[in-house]
Amino acid sequence: MNLPGFVIRNAFRNKRRFALSVSSVAASLFLLVMLQVALRELTNPINDEGSSLRIIVRNKVSLAQPLPARQLQRLDKIPGIVTVSPFSFYGGLYKGDEKFTSFAQFAVDPKRTLPLLSDAKIPKEQLAAWIADQTSCIVGQMTADRYGLKIGDRMQFTGQIYPCDLDLKIAGFYHGTADDRNLMFHQKYLDELLGDPGTVGTWWVLAASVAEAPLVTERINQAFANSSAEVRAESERAFVLGFVSMWANIKTLIGGISIVVIFALLLVTVSTMSMAIRERFRELAILKAIGFRRRELFAFILAESFGLAMCGAVLGAGGAWVVFHSLDIQKLSNGLFVMFEVTPRLMGLAFSVAALLGVVAAIAPMFTVARTSVVEGLKTLD
Amino acid sequence: MAETIVKIRELTKLYAQGEIQVTALDRIALDIAAGEFLALMGPSGSGKSTLLHIIAGVDRPTSGECLVQGVDVTKLNESELADWRNQNVGFVFQTFNLIPVLTAFENVELPLLLTQLGRAQRRKQVEAALDLVGLADRMHHLPKQLSGGQEQRVAIARALVTDPKLVVADEPTGNLDSHSAHEVLGILQSLSQQAGKTVIMVTHDPKAAAFGSRSIHLEKGELTR
Ligand SMILES: Nc1ncnc2c1ncn2[C@@H]1O[C@H](COP(=O)(O)OP(=O)(O)O)[C@@H](O)[C@H]1O
Ligand SMILES: [Mg+2]
Repeated sequence: MNLPGFVIRNAFRNKRRFALSVSSVAASLFLLVMLQVALRELTNPINDEGSSLRIIVRNKVSLAQPLPARQLQRLDKIPGIVTVSPFSFYGGLYKGDEKFTSFAQFAVDPKRTLPLLSDAKIPKEQLAAWIADQTSCIVGQMTADRYGLKIGDRMQFTGQIYPCDLDLKIAGFYHGTADDRNLMFHQKYLDELLGDPGTVGTWWVLAASVAEAPLVTERINQAFANSSAEVRAESERAFVLGFVSMWANIKTLIGGISIVVIFALLLVTVSTMSMAIRERFRELAILKAIGFRRRELFAFILAESFGLAMCGAVLGAGGAWVVFHSLDIQKLSNGLFVMFEVTPRLMGLAFSVAALLGVVAAIAPMFTVARTSVVEGLKTLD
Repeated sequence: MAETIVKIRELTKLYAQGEIQVTALDRIALDIAAGEFLALMGPSGSGKSTLLHIIAGVDRPTSGECLVQGVDVTKLNESELADWRNQNVGFVFQTFNLIPVLTAFENVELPLLLTQLGRAQRRKQVEAALDLVGLADRMHHLPKQLSGGQEQRVAIARALVTDPKLVVADEPTGNLDSHSAHEVLGILQSLSQQAGKTVIMVTHDPKAAAFGSRSIHLEKGELTR
């Protein structure tokens, strides 16, 4: 036997407690990694060029306020814009769905939409058919698969926001975007059903380059400043994030939960180590009597505590890495998360937290051991 | 006359219990010769353990001196004392002496882990010590697989393995049946008679004390004879 062997023997003396402690550290770290990955993805835009090129322009007052259709002439003149299309969220209920339709329906201008759908793959003839027929639509492949849709099928929607129902013919299917679920139909058709109100929901803008996108955003905001319908332009990514923060300030929430998780983790490791050391008080006194110095006993305690935390980290953070690498998070989160990448930085964070906890959990027992004399230690249980 | 290994003068230990002061040891003077098997007797609370602990360097007196082989153990600092104990003192306690997760062999090996000795040398010494207490065949048993008497013999082997001059035992037979106690006392006796160790044993049992070469009595912190 040697000293490291002694540490290991001690750590495993109460196997069930060790397993439980390691598991709770692992579970907490798994959760922490998951939260941080989510936070990172929500705050750092993914490196999808299309999504940083696309800009969404909405009414400054609120998303629910429409924009005047005449703004299009002005937008067309703003430099740095490749194309602009109306982009009106219809938000209807698909026939057959009872309460909730899992895909969005947008009214757009099909002729102007093609560049906006830059990364979408759609057969030429299907696109042409869509442009040609004002009552037709294109549907994302995920939705098509889910409902078993075929070209030529008709889809009926009941209006939830707009006072009109839709009856659309499927002209084609697209795939290859970050979220292959949406349905797109003609803004003109919506206008007709509503009796030409001269409004659109939002504008969908494609900037000429990533570098120019922020400038374009600024120009658009400027262009309509002090007009009857002031706008707020933002990148598609920021827009989606804005959506998320509409129902909860996710960032603060995740930050808060992370802190609670770390705190729980601290309690677990600290109490495990205190228990482990307390029940060995007498043994530690005997070790002292035999000639073990404080620093050797400190090393034992630290090694045990650190080892416990690290086992938890390997299982928890390592487990998160394996799980998030092998699962299709995009599908599971209905497209909210796309990459869900466990970065080396986040792994580093998890292991640092664990290391820190391992050290912190060792402090109290070390103090107790330092303070207790051999004689006091021997008295316990005597 | 053999050389004096322990020389105690004016040794006093006071405990403050709130307002009241307890005098655990009251100006003790004591000489112990090398190779003696000293039985330290007295009623409960008379200061036996306190005296033993000071001699063995795990407790400090309030005043007075305690020289062991010429070294004043009361003047050593914590870390020096630890080293000193490792090299010079072997401990046997009343109960719960052994580390439960380690085998008999590993328990005995423990003090040697603090030395520079290599694996093979450690093994040799551990085996010799276990042989001496008649437990060579129980080397790989865990404490819970041993009887109380066997555990105490393993503890004696651990006390011996570093070949210290001094072996201290605090009521080593307190928890044993008379047969096991007899075995343990026989071993302690042979340590002093054959191996030339100085053994100091605390006991309140006159039958146990009879194994010693000398017995002294403590009463309320004072030596009575
Ligand atoms: N830590 C302590 N605090 C206060 N009094 C103590 C302490 N340790 C021992 N004593 C007192 O010192 C006296 C001697 O104790 P001890 O040496 O353990 O006696 P013995 O071993 O002879 O039974 C007792 O009166 C005991 O109550
Ligand atoms: Mg006692």
